[in-house]
Amino acid sequence: MSNSTFKEPAYVDYKDVELIKRYLNEQGKILPRRITNVSAKFQRQLTTAVKRARHMSLIPFVSDSLK
Amino acid sequence: MATPQNTYELSYIVNSVISDEQVKELVSRVTAYISEAGGEIIEVDEWGQRRLSYPIQKKRNGYYVNMYFRSSGTMIPRLERTLEIDDNVLRYMTLRMDSKMIRHYEESKTRAKNAEKPVAPVITNDDDDEDDDE
Repeated sequence: MSNSTFKEPAYVDYKDVELIKRYLNEQGKILPRRITNVSAKFQRQLTTAVKRARHMSLIPFVSDSLK
Repeated sequence: MATPQNTYELSYIVNSVISDEQVKELVSRVTAYISEAGGEIIEVDEWGQRRLSYPIQKKRNGYYVNMYFRSSGTMIPRLERTLEIDDNVLRYMTLRMDSKMIRHYEESKTRAKNAEKPVAPVITNDDDDEDDDE
């Protein structure tokens, strides 16, 4: 998860499902920062993006298996 | 007196059970509504039909439209109201783009131009509209 070459983008696009899914567990819950090891700034962006993507039905609210 | 202009991103999901002509008509109606209200259309990106992650109004598929425009903020409530009233719009979301979002948008545009492929994931779904009708 913590990848040294990965640069945290300034804005997380809710349309970027591939990126968002990396930070969800298999139920579709947002992983805690304890696990993801990302900056607080990025985690906030991510949370907003996840909620937007859920609203637009790009990712599920709840799921038995997302991956 | 110039009203302040903002850049907006609007995405909405159209009920894909209706015919292609009706979908096309609705999309052009929304676009025309914005430009008539003084908005300047930047881009209309139709993703097309896509599988929904969860059923909305018992539909499993939806026709996604993602568009960008510039306008004053006063028209947004009226636009959202027309979308809300239209039964064929399953979901909509308007976002005012701040500088970070605009930069992200422009970067993804140039990247798409270089790679010559769409940035938005266009996922072709298996056609199972038959059980969608209500």
